[in-house]
Amino acid sequence: MIADGSPVGLHARQPKAIHSALTVLEEVARCGAGVTARQISDNLALPRATAYRLLNVLVQDEYLVRMPDLRGFALGRKVVELANLVAPPAARPPEAVRAILDRLRGGIRGGIHLVRYEHDGLRVIDPDPDFPPSDRSVILARLEASAMGRLLVYERSRGAAPASVEAATTPASRATPGAAPTGHAGSRPRPFGEIAASGYASQIDGVTDGYGCIAIPIRDRAGHLVAGLCLCAPRERIERPDELVAMLQRGAEELAPLLA
Amino acid sequence: MTALERAIRHPEPVLGFADRSPVDGLDRRSVGFADVLAQSVSAVAPAAAATTIPLLIASAGGSPVWALASGMLIALLVASTVNQFTKRIAATGSLYTFVSRGLGRTASFVTGVALLVGYGFISMFALAGAGYYLQILLGDLWPASASTPLSAGVLIAVMAVVCAVVLARGIRVSTRVTLLVESVSVVIILVLVGALLYRNGPTVNWSVLSLAGTTPTTFAVGAALALTAFVGFESASTLGVEARRPFANIPRAIFRTVIVAGLLYLVASFSQVVGFAALGRGLSTSTSPVNDLAAAYGIGGLGLLLDVSIAASFLACAIASITALVRVLFSMGREGLLPSALGRTHDRYRTPFVAVVISVPVLTLSVVVTIALAGSVWRAMEILIVGAAGGYITAYTLACIAAPVFLHRIGELTVWSALRAAAAAVLLSVVLVVYLVSESTTDRYAGVWVFLAVMTVGIVFYLVRHLRRPWLRHAVGIYDVPVGADVLGAVNGFGTMNGHTVGETDAVRRGGKAAAGS
Repeated sequence: MIADGSPVGLHARQPKAIHSALTVLEEVARCGAGVTARQISDNLALPRATAYRLLNVLVQDEYLVRMPDLRGFALGRKVVELANLVAPPAARPPEAVRAILDRLRGGIRGGIHLVRYEHDGLRVIDPDPDFPPSDRSVILARLEASAMGRLLVYERSRGAAPASVEAATTPASRATPGAAPTGHAGSRPRPFGEIAASGYASQIDGVTDGYGCIAIPIRDRAGHLVAGLCLCAPRERIERPDELVAMLQRGAEELAPLLA
Repeated sequence: MTALERAIRHPEPVLGFADRSPVDGLDRRSVGFADVLAQSVSAVAPAAAATTIPLLIASAGGSPVWALASGMLIALLVASTVNQFTKRIAATGSLYTFVSRGLGRTASFVTGVALLVGYGFISMFALAGAGYYLQILLGDLWPASASTPLSAGVLIAVMAVVCAVVLARGIRVSTRVTLLVESVSVVIILVLVGALLYRNGPTVNWSVLSLAGTTPTTFAVGAALALTAFVGFESASTLGVEARRPFANIPRAIFRTVIVAGLLYLVASFSQVVGFAALGRGLSTSTSPVNDLAAAYGIGGLGLLLDVSIAASFLACAIASITALVRVLFSMGREGLLPSALGRTHDRYRTPFVAVVISVPVLTLSVVVTIALAGSVWRAMEILIVGAAGGYITAYTLACIAAPVFLHRIGELTVWSALRAAAAAVLLSVVLVVYLVSESTTDRYAGVWVFLAVMTVGIVFYLVRHLRRPWLRHAVGIYDVPVGADVLGAVNGFGTMNGHTVGETDAVRRGGKAAAGS
């Protein structure tokens, strides 16, 4: 498409405009859904025309959406994408969680990392100090390459699946078809369907040659993916995973109530 | 923690967003900017207009270049006013839906009828035009083939089938086909213009641009005729549901269509005026100026190419105009103003299938009947274009009156947008009256009466329909609303929030259900 993919040219006047746009986003967040253009312009003491133009630009880019009455504004889902890019480093997990991880690290040779899944993204909240994980940008750039990324891709497709399919795969989870915008996503084959059968994700050579990893999902009571316990090790150990998976799954069961 | 961070981490439940839009069933958010632009450009059919409108203006005693420049100015004013709506409402009903949000339902009925007349008549005009030029082409290639109204009717029927198939197969197919066809014909026109100016040599006689001999009346008539060369630029707004990022792409497509078409018209009309001046003839002495010019400058071979490009441009215009027409019908069908079957979509292709299947045969039959009554294809086209222009300009006028009211209602009225809308509304009213009065004194007077008759019948039909169904008052003017998945923290009917179960009390869940069910 001509306009969609064109590189964004930044001009000298734009930093001010970006500042104003972020201020407007902040104001919508502060006032809550339904705030009108006039209220925003009054609250921020912005000239009317400027406020309206900024709001319309933010609506065009889908950071904001208009409420069905056309007067009010609400935050669009796209602000989450923005937030995932610039979010501050996560706080360290609680002491009880770290104790379990230390015990696992003592018993299994390889890098053991704890991953948090939130806001439609992932973040390593406790990396193994002896075997640091790959850079976050590498993992986020190709989610389907890493085991922890595969869990997220699978979870997203689950969110978009119709209730009946989901109920069949995870009986414990509540039906959550809310994320399906069109209702026909379920007809597509779901990526990494083997995760449903085995209960974990794994990959070999996907990120680093000669190495592989396993990711065990940790779910809350409603069945949503909240965290993942990952093991990275040389490929020959990942190729015979049964004993390792059993150990990791016991650890994941202990971690679940602390993280969910 | 800032308010924005807090909102992202712990989204407040937002009520009032449903799972599905009222215009659900179309291929939502599926076409990009190029497709949206193609829709508007093809509905304008710049290649066909660039070769015919300068002649019409010259015949009426106006100066083509100046008339087209002032037509472009009015079109830009209208486009910027219509864009006040397209930046805020994503609808399939275009101006019909927009006016309902500003002036209420009676004005929106009038706009709806005018818009249907505009799209319907221009589709018929374009089908007839494509048939007319194809017939000329066939006559050139096989001189033996007889050009009778019957053969034109057969050609038109064949092209109507092509239109119906393309339209039913999905919005991407129809916009891609029209984009390709229209680009080719614009390139051919530009090649011709370039060749003409090159042959003419470096000395341009600028005196051809003088306004001597033009009276205010002929200037106004010229501007009105020039505006008819731009009508259709707003038709991208019927893709409000199907366009990706509609609030960015549609306004941009509408504005750029006017710019692109306007520049093409200025260059084409200038080259025609200069070309005829160099020959020592007047533009209005010709019946087919570009063909005559090509022949006079020794590039007659390009005349054939020109006929191909005009036929193609007309076909693209027919596809684009019917695309817009069926989406307005779809909107009215969904609201219950027209039979609800018109609001049904095809399961697989996700197009307003029923509206296509009904409207294409009706339009084709009307073209054939008009040709039979008028006696020749060209006569029929003259009548149809008058009706179409009347419909479009009426709808534009009402939209320009509605825009400031709408902006005031949502509390976003500014001085400049009000001034632009007022200027556009006044100019359009003048143009409409001047156009209809001047056309009623020409041999195209039948077009004026047909237009007025169809408008009257349409409005009476809507008023009767409305009296019988008083609940329509609340149904008119549907548009695409963001669905739950677009909104951070939207609560839908399942009591879930963007796929996460709402942890709050049952009251929230009940509230969500009530909001989604209402």
